[in-house]
Amino acid sequence: MSGKHNHKPFEGHMHDFEAHIRAVEEDLEYYRAKRFEPRIIYLIRRGVVTFYDLLKARAALKRSHLFFKPKQTQGNNIEARVRHLEEWLDEYVKGIALVSARAVEAMDMVTEDNRKERGDYDDFFKIKKKEHHGTLEERMVNLEQDLRDYQELLEVFVQALIQRGWSTREQLQQRWRQLHEERSWAGGVIVAKAWTDPAFKQALLSTGREALREMGVHQGKVGKLVVVENTDKVHNVIVCTLCSCYPYDILGDTPWWYKHESYRTQIVQNPRACLRNMFGLEVSAGKEVQVYDSTSDVRYFVLPECPAGTEGMTEEALAKLVTVDSLVGAGYALEPSQRREAEQSGGLPEAPRVRPD
Amino acid sequence: MESTGCKYKIGDAVRVAAENPTGNPRTPHYIRGKCGVIGLVHGVLENVRDHRGIHKPLYTVRFDLSEVSTCHDQDSICVDVHEEWLNLRQAGERN
Repeated sequence: MSGKHNHKPFEGHMHDFEAHIRAVEEDLEYYRAKRFEPRIIYLIRRGVVTFYDLLKARAALKRSHLFFKPKQTQGNNIEARVRHLEEWLDEYVKGIALVSARAVEAMDMVTEDNRKERGDYDDFFKIKKKEHHGTLEERMVNLEQDLRDYQELLEVFVQALIQRGWSTREQLQQRWRQLHEERSWAGGVIVAKAWTDPAFKQALLSTGREALREMGVHQGKVGKLVVVENTDKVHNVIVCTLCSCYPYDILGDTPWWYKHESYRTQIVQNPRACLRNMFGLEVSAGKEVQVYDSTSDVRYFVLPECPAGTEGMTEEALAKLVTVDSLVGAGYALEPSQRREAEQSGGLPEAPRVRPD
Repeated sequence: MESTGCKYKIGDAVRVAAENPTGNPRTPHYIRGKCGVIGLVHGVLENVRDHRGIHKPLYTVRFDLSEVSTCHDQDSICVDVHEEWLNLRQAGERN
């Protein structure tokens, strides 16, 4: 992948710390209860790793750290502390990706196994998520403690995989470096090219991944890709009501609200109200809203409409107007003036997003 | 085309089975028993990282929002459904 594909989606400064903290809380519990712990349980059921391996691994680790640098709480600046929590969460998520790859190879696991184990089809198996209460300060302190605990278990699990011979430290270190180099956000360049090159747009809409191969963009490997176009007649929105299927191999990390139950239930019950209440997005009465509820075999993203005032802009500049929300249909691409204002004022106004149930 | 060997074609009016114990469990409950129209034919898709074996052909079925929800906006919900969950609607059947 060439360098120009590597930029991340636009993020401004923070306007609403509470919203950021809630996003970390929701995401952290999602990854713990849906992505990590069910996997351990799956492997324990099959004897790949046992509780006693974890005890031994814990003893062997003592105070040395395999992958994660110990993190200290950052001073008193709230924005710095929130950013720190977000980076910490990101490290935890990468750690889960690290052990998942080894677990999959060790057990010939498929995603569907994990869905069963984590209770997607049967509430009996669901791991309870933590509830969050208290002042902002208390919630930040709780998150710091949770991240410390969760990361420790992850590290013990990694050590157990090594001790049981399912992986070597070298293999894991190599994968760990790769995980830090990978940048899968290609949404901006794909959309900008589709806006400026009609032949490419046609190919993208009709062939999906094939068109990405010709464009030289990382084309991903998660299911068939279907791109749906927003027009002045149709506004498309993507959801996965059963779990949270998302073309993360092309668009990067799934936004936290996309995995949240309130989005997943409300968007198919009353799409317009959901877009209005959660994202402040009003779709005009003249447009039909089409919600795509994807299952794992096909992954969707939205080709947003090209905003006004973009005549003569380069593809590179256009790519910066594309937001993650606009690729799911939860927002529009930014107008150039909105993007400029956001940069000058230090950030995008943050939508309230998912409200507590 | 991937659509060789597929039972349904674009535009066919279908009804989702109310239940199918041996069918793919990834069929959302809110569309079970509901009527829709085939919008896309994906055919048989291989997805070895996701599940074992091969599922029956896959379709994107378009439902009126009011068919699957109590909301009466003129909007629609498109859901991916495998063939074993679908039946052709009979002539004279509702919708």
